[in-house]
Amino acid sequence: MTIATTLEERRAIAETVGKLLAEESGEKRVRAVMETRDGIDRELWSGLARMGIAGLLVPSRFGGAGLGPVELELVAEEIGAALACTPFLSSSVLAAGLLTASQDEAACARLLPGIAAGTTIATVALTGERGSWQPVDVTVRAEGTKDGANDGAFLSGTASYVMHAGVADVLLVAAATSDGLGLFEVASHGAGVAIEALPTFDRTLRLDRIAFAHAPATRIGGAGRPAIDAALRLALVGRAGEQAGGARRIFDMTVEYTKTRIQFGRPIGGFQAIKHMAAELLLEAESATSAARDAALQLAQDHDGADEAIDLAAFACADAFAKIAATAIQMHGGIAFTWEHPAHLYLRRARAYSYLLGSSDLHRERFLTKISAQSHDGSVAP
Amino acid sequence: MTNEDLRREVNDWLAAHWRAPGTIIQSMWETNAETRAWHTKVFEARWSVPSWPVEWFGRGLDDEQTNIVIEAFAQVGAPGTGQDRFNLPANTLLAAASDELKLTLIPGLLKKDITTCLLYSEPSAGSDLAGVRTRAERDGDRFIVNGQKVWTSGATVADYGMLICRTDWDVPKHSGLSFFFLPMKQAGVEVRPLRQITGEAHFNEVFFTDAVVPASHLVGGLNRGWRVLQTALAYERSSMGARARGSRHGAADDLVALARAAGRLDDPLLRQDIARTVALRRLNTLNNARAKAELEQGTSSSIMSLGKLAMSRILHEEARVRTAIIGVESLLAGETQPTADDVNFLALNAYFTSIGGGTDQIQKNIISERVLGLPREPELDRNIPFKQVRSG
Ligand SMILES: Cc1cc2nc3c(=O)[nH]c(=O)nc-3n(C[C@H](O)[C@H](O)[C@H](O)COP(=O)(O)OP(=O)(O)OC[C@H]3O[C@@H](n4cnc5c(N)ncnc54)[C@H](O)[C@@H]3O)c2cc1C
Repeated sequence: MTIATTLEERRAIAETVGKLLAEESGEKRVRAVMETRDGIDRELWSGLARMGIAGLLVPSRFGGAGLGPVELELVAEEIGAALACTPFLSSSVLAAGLLTASQDEAACARLLPGIAAGTTIATVALTGERGSWQPVDVTVRAEGTKDGANDGAFLSGTASYVMHAGVADVLLVAAATSDGLGLFEVASHGAGVAIEALPTFDRTLRLDRIAFAHAPATRIGGAGRPAIDAALRLALVGRAGEQAGGARRIFDMTVEYTKTRIQFGRPIGGFQAIKHMAAELLLEAESATSAARDAALQLAQDHDGADEAIDLAAFACADAFAKIAATAIQMHGGIAFTWEHPAHLYLRRARAYSYLLGSSDLHRERFLTKISAQSHDGSVAP
Repeated sequence: MTNEDLRREVNDWLAAHWRAPGTIIQSMWETNAETRAWHTKVFEARWSVPSWPVEWFGRGLDDEQTNIVIEAFAQVGAPGTGQDRFNLPANTLLAAASDELKLTLIPGLLKKDITTCLLYSEPSAGSDLAGVRTRAERDGDRFIVNGQKVWTSGATVADYGMLICRTDWDVPKHSGLSFFFLPMKQAGVEVRPLRQITGEAHFNEVFFTDAVVPASHLVGGLNRGWRVLQTALAYERSSMGARARGSRHGAADDLVALARAAGRLDDPLLRQDIARTVALRRLNTLNNARAKAELEQGTSSSIMSLGKLAMSRILHEEARVRTAIIGVESLLAGETQPTADDVNFLALNAYFTSIGGGTDQIQKNIISERVLGLPREPELDRNIPFKQVRSG
């Protein structure tokens, strides 16, 4: 992968997306959408699709913008800042990333153009009830599939914590086969597929549990692991961008509030306890942005250290967002304990994204495994 | 000159001249013959301050080209270049001194012939640096200095002290300060070492009794010292945010290696702690790189001011994790216990960064006020003549 855009072009993309979100996905709209059954803003989604955002990662020969992780991260910052209710991460990042990485031309030609146009919503089922997003956790099994055979497969078992399955047209499912993990396409309304919405703490996010009972499926690509890993890398970069953007937005809102709220005859932002919390949070917000952008850049340039940078961004951004969103409530006082105040929306998102696609503990463990392997063979200085 | 030509030139020069010598000292206040000899060569070849103008010992290179030079030196492990970015006294002089003083002092500073210390803090003026009471009085073409400084690192060896002192007592505190380069090796300057919590004695008390500084060594103009001090502090803080001193025996710097040596690299809780802490250091590096890039792209960056605070947290967190790794061994100390000695030393020396150069609390005040635009701390003494200001 490379970086197809110039700095100016990237700034323009971020600005256009930011503007659309400011106009079409303000707090009022987000609150309205999060109370609907589907939980996604279809109008906004088609607006974003028209801008090329739904197909950001889709190669141009399949109707997409053909961009990569660096642009993805920037757009994700905007989407995360607005808490926009869209299937961006599920359909445009995870599903599109998985299909592209599968190198299954037929499947790509069948599904990617719709995803890029925003007319097809696809999602990916990668984890079971334990929700670790680790391959060992896949509890769906495929039967009746021979090596390389592309149809005649049936899936059974349960996948959970699947984003937006309730509104998805297509499910891409990781399942155990006789030759390791494989990927399968399943029609979301097909036979043997039972989708049950999970009650989510972050109402801007929809998650589902899917029970497969001998559901007819089409195999995609060959070995599933490499494609799954590639899609997860992209999704973690996207997640990190959303976290960095969300963290920055609630931080900015909080600092502004402390300048206008008067107690003891002066703005609370003049109290040192508040100032010091703000200074610490600024460090967290900047570090999250640095980590997310570095992970994107390393992945775009295919650097050896990309996985390490992604692990780092995964836990650093999750932890920073969680700390900032939590402290923001304290800094606001009682007003932020009300449902009407947006602070809790960010805290909910921060908490949800700390576990979605893998926990901080998991990413820290992976990060340490990588750096300790290097410091052992002496290839990297501390 | 193209970047390629420059790269070739610097590499050729290094190949011809750089032989890793015994000990080169990277400190503001100490030097030795080898350090001097190497830095003199670098200076004469105009690599010390590549981005400075040609008339001021540099080559007038832009940022990208300066990076090429710095990278070439780093690749062979040679010091001496990049002083345009970190040499605190030289940069302060370039920014604010008269041409005469620049010519007198800068070459020696870049060649490491001249060493300096920072004569800022006093017994009654620490965080509140504008409250200094050391006085300088004009006497013809010189100033006579009386008073006391404290916590002055390197004062026993330094040739010059960067002195902030009071030259007008009838105006508010920030308006009556002047900044001098004061010769340290003179009868009117007495230096008394102070023993630190680490057992070392790097910092000192400094007493001035009719010490003399030539008027030509005044930097930035009479009573204009506060601005000069801001420049100097910015360099000090940015270098404290980028680097910190390592351990004495080199036995405890790398957390992973320390845990492996202690047989505890498989402890899952420690692993989380180590990863968290290593990440802090990475994040600081990424922040600093992004700050640099953003400056080069012409966007102002708030990250610049965060490095020192970040480094303070890194050092204290690392110290905590190191202690957790070696556990009960941290009861021990001394030369026969290099690991425990390093761990304990680093735990204590972390305060160098959280107190020296402006405490963490002062850094947070600065960040919240200057970066985030929050209201300034109330200052009861800001607008009254300094001689009416309370001290203690
Ligand atoms: C290892 C080391 C090396 C040093 N080297 C030098 C040197 O070379 N030259 C030199 O001039 N100085 C040096 N210093 C001194 C250093 O700059 C001062 O110690 C520091 O600025 C704090 O001043 P103070 O010690 O008087 O503490 P104080 O200013 O008395 O502070 C005491 C406590 O009060 C807090 N505090 C003070 N004011 C505020 C405020 N407005 N808001 C919130 N909290 C506040 C501080 O954070 C601190 O916790 C060194 C210090 C150390 C530890």
